[in-house]
Amino acid sequence: MQETTDIRTKYPSKIPVVLERYQKEKTLPQLSRVKFLVSGDLSMSQFVYSLRARLSLTATQAFYLLVDNKSLPCLSLTVAEVYEANKDDDGFLYITYASQDTFGDIGP
Amino acid sequence: MVGFCSFFLVAGGTGPTSDTGWGCMLRCGQMIFAQALVCRHLGRDWRWVKGKKQMENYYNVLNAFIDKKDSYYSIHQIAQMGVGEGKSIGQWYGPNTVAQVLKKLATFDTWSSLAVHIAMDNTVVMEEIRRLCKLSCPCPGASAFPAAESDLLSNGYPDGAECMDRLLSWKPLVLLIPLRLGLTDINEAYIETLKHCFMMPQSLGVIGGKPNSAHYFIGYVGEELIYLDPHTTQPAVEPMESGHIPDESFHCQHPPCRMSIAELDPSIAVGFFCNNEEDFNDWCQQVKKLSLIRGALPMFELVEHQPSHFSSPDVLNLTPDSSDADRLERFFDSEDEDFEILSL
Repeated sequence: MQETTDIRTKYPSKIPVVLERYQKEKTLPQLSRVKFLVSGDLSMSQFVYSLRARLSLTATQAFYLLVDNKSLPCLSLTVAEVYEANKDDDGFLYITYASQDTFGDIGP
Repeated sequence: MVGFCSFFLVAGGTGPTSDTGWGCMLRCGQMIFAQALVCRHLGRDWRWVKGKKQMENYYNVLNAFIDKKDSYYSIHQIAQMGVGEGKSIGQWYGPNTVAQVLKKLATFDTWSSLAVHIAMDNTVVMEEIRRLCKLSCPCPGASAFPAAESDLLSNGYPDGAECMDRLLSWKPLVLLIPLRLGLTDINEAYIETLKHCFMMPQSLGVIGGKPNSAHYFIGYVGEELIYLDPHTTQPAVEPMESGHIPDESFHCQHPPCRMSIAELDPSIAVGFFCNNEEDFNDWCQQVKKLSLIRGALPMFELVEHQPSHFSSPDVLNLTPDSSDADRLERFFDSEDEDFEILSL
């Protein structure tokens, strides 16, 4: 909590976000950092756009941000709105990114 | 029971070309697309009756999926096109990848002349779909090699007054929405919404699976999903000399399987078919109504226009020029000890 209180005092317009790759993710690259400070007025669509660009993904690659095991379907929300609705007790917004699972078992 | 049960491919193929072990998601992609072609050419209410003489289009649909290299949507074509999506032959597919491949293959299928749209990032943009369905005018001369969607967009409107009639018409739409409804398990909050998708008249069902094995979901009963399992291997079908295709193996001879919705792997693609503009408008209305159901978490968002900074998804394909690089630089500008600062 102390960490996020300090950082919010220093950067009042920024949202502390922990962005992690899904542990079973096989195709998407790993980000070099986990903790981010994101402008609260950034829309989720801008956030997704910047992450897609950063991970060098093509437009046809699957990329999902999940908060609390839910996909974020509303890209018109701002990061601040998502934060207010989903922030953790420690003051961080936890987001996991993942693509899609693949299928191909030998069958029953 | 909610769902449909008309035409499906439960073919597997044995012998040297057997796809057992890797091709189950490809088969599911074929099944959902076969249903789309049935809606397109035979009508939504068409049902297969064993031994009944079928109309010619029925055999054309079968031919589009038969295990031959030159069929529009054969397993060979899908596997080959998948290489372009970064999948080597034999690699496992997810629902999005098979959808992307089918979209590419559909551009060669001038007979069906479908508009295939894959809504990425949980967002269905109505404007984008209208543009795709209305702009795709198969002008004479251009029809032999239909231009890819992006070409049409960059070329602007097709010229020639003779195109006007077609311009006003609407290409039948196949809408596929790849989703992730949770990390390891499906989030229960989506189940009600998922059920409602099967109830829409435009539904083509859902491709997805249980962890590792792919299934084609066609409906539900109570808390169970009804699915077709592509793992039933069958001898490859060869058209006979008379031209007759032994078609029994293309249809389910046994009752479809069932499984609990909670077992569904969260990675799916939901499919819809809209025959005309009215059909699409109706679909939009149904989706809007869905958001009013209490306790049903939306699986995707339906918006009129592209969200800002999301203008053309193709932009992402371009190598960033200097201004893009600068902008990105500003996104991730300075750093504060443990933190990386993202700003505009």
